Amino acid sequence: MSNFKQFKKMFSAQLKLTLREKQAWFWGIFFPVILMVIFMVIFSGSSDDEFQSEIAIVADNPNPVSEMLLTQIDQLPILDVKSGEPVSRNTAEQWVKDQEVDAAIVLPESAEDTSFVLVVNKEDEQGVTTQALSAILDKIVQQANLSAVGATPTYDIQFESVTASTNELNYTDFLLTGMIALSIAQGGMFGMVDLVEMRRKGLIKRLRMTPAKMGIFGLSDMVMRLLFSIVQILLLSLIGVFIFGASLYINFFSLTIVFLIGALSFNALGYLISSFSQTQNAYMGVANIVSFLMMFLSGVFFPIETMPDWLQPVSNILPLTYFAEGLRDSMVYETGIFSSTLWFGIGVLVIWGAITFLLGSWLYKRKSIVATR
Amino acid sequence: MKVLEVTHLQKSFGAIRAVQDISFSVEAGEVFTIIGPNGAGKTTTLEMIEGLVTPDHGEIHFGDMNWGNHAVAIKMKIGVQPQSSAMFDLLTPEENLDLFATFYDKARPTEEILELINLTEHRKNQVKKLSGGQRQRLAIGLAMISDPDIIFLDEPTTGLDPQARRHIWDIILELKKLGKTTILTTHYMEEAEKLSDRVCIVDQGNIVTIDTPSALIEKLTKEREVRLAFLDGEEAAKVADVFANQLDSVSRTERDGSTLKLWTIKPEDTLLDLFKFTKEKEYQVEQVSIREMSLEDVFIAFTGKEWRD
Repeated sequence: MSNFKQFKKMFSAQLKLTLREKQAWFWGIFFPVILMVIFMVIFSGSSDDEFQSEIAIVADNPNPVSEMLLTQIDQLPILDVKSGEPVSRNTAEQWVKDQEVDAAIVLPESAEDTSFVLVVNKEDEQGVTTQALSAILDKIVQQANLSAVGATPTYDIQFESVTASTNELNYTDFLLTGMIALSIAQGGMFGMVDLVEMRRKGLIKRLRMTPAKMGIFGLSDMVMRLLFSIVQILLLSLIGVFIFGASLYINFFSLTIVFLIGALSFNALGYLISSFSQTQNAYMGVANIVSFLMMFLSGVFFPIETMPDWLQPVSNILPLTYFAEGLRDSMVYETGIFSSTLWFGIGVLVIWGAITFLLGSWLYKRKSIVATR
Repeated sequence: MKVLEVTHLQKSFGAIRAVQDISFSVEAGEVFTIIGPNGAGKTTTLEMIEGLVTPDHGEIHFGDMNWGNHAVAIKMKIGVQPQSSAMFDLLTPEENLDLFATFYDKARPTEEILELINLTEHRKNQVKKLSGGQRQRLAIGLAMISDPDIIFLDEPTTGLDPQARRHIWDIILELKKLGKTTILTTHYMEEAEKLSDRVCIVDQGNIVTIDTPSALIEKLTKEREVRLAFLDGEEAAKVADVFANQLDSVSRTERDGSTLKLWTIKPEDTLLDLFKFTKEKEYQVEQVSIREMSLEDVFIAFTGKEWRD
């Protein structure tokens, strides 16, 4: 039978094996999707969730100063004035007590009066909202002071530091690419458990009794795994883009290279684990430890820069760090293939892949697992 | 015509000499059975012949082919059912057979194999849902998919119920009808006796003896055990016992209540004399039986070991 025909048959068998394996569906598709959705819901949310606070305004004696401040407050999108107009001090204090508003701002009683009062609930005294409000108010006062002495206001600029919607969008992109990297890496690290099972059940030995070309068999297996990973990329990207509003700018050529090298490298790592694991449980134990360490140390969920300094060198040798970065570069920043950082990352992945594969092959040979079991 | 010839095979694993010196040849079309206790070297011998394990010493020839120069050609010609009956559990019997068919230059149609191993009904069920006997039949089917001239079956019936074992016997006899050569290992003496043309007894890595089952039994002893049960009770048995001991052909007797056991080299003559005697005395004989010697007896005689299933 021709090589191509043999490949086609073997591939169709691999396809059926993968489609019928419930574990593959759970860990390869369901798990990463759920994990990503949870993280995105908790840590980013939609862009409507900017800092916003409902307040009450008390202006018992309207005067030019309070009028001016009121207009300024009205212009702030992050402050929502309850009932849309000033209320009496008593009403405002009642609202604060009942926590219907975050705070009440008491405007100056007269043009000569220069002090604001910020009324907050005792429970919220140390809260983030209170601090933010006080900071905002402080800015307003500064502006008022500046304009009183005739200085140029720099109002709007100072303001943007308070709303942070662009950063939130970045986190969605960050997490999306991190999750894609993680699912492909886990696919490789956990996927090779099949090899342990095939060896334990004697299936590898059985195949060696036939004239089957094992190279073609391995190739069909690899192609199947790569296709499965492409499905993961597509699914996670679609969810990220259409549900959570991630914005991707993809350089397909870079992405293809990073994807192929990364997927092969993590499969090589799985191959190494399979070479010294006698049982499925032993394999899963090792793969879990490796995958857990990498999950939190490789900048999948949070940037490496946020980790303690002494831990960062560890991150800098892990392959997943470079895989996630490579995917970010090629999927979010549209980095072309001539970027040196990209090639540095690819180089690290190649080294990892080569070392783990050679070590795995050596262990397989040395213990001549295939021959004696 | 010799289809397989092995000469002076030796194999050690560390300090354990699994196979010490094994030589035999197999004729085309015969069922050749290797029996022996666990650890006798049966599986190692088979695995060397199947090309999975390289012998330390000795030669293996399939006609004019050997593993060193004709590995692929030999694999095309032989079919193997290993003890583990490994296959793809998530595929159906049909898919497993189809997949294995692609490994070979020529293959028998899948439906034909399914028919032969009686799995047509289950061809669309995943293998993991099959029973032990059905799995084992599929393993034999996989060994036959390439229509090989030589088929190796390593303990094909171990752990199966009597019904399932009989199914597999039918398949082996069917293969014989097709002119295939079968090399079989088994734990069951009954099976070796029923199926094989020749039996090879292996113990501690050496061949103890090779011959046809009936010749082996013949070789062992001419003595048969005869058993008679008397309806007239102990008294009749006692009298018959005394009479039997006077006969030349009877070597010894044993009596248990109304049952008399005696060992004789001429069972026909002994029985004739005994029946004449009981007729005379008007004793009524309830049961008569002659126990055939089995391969199990041969095995015990040759290896000095009890047989364990």
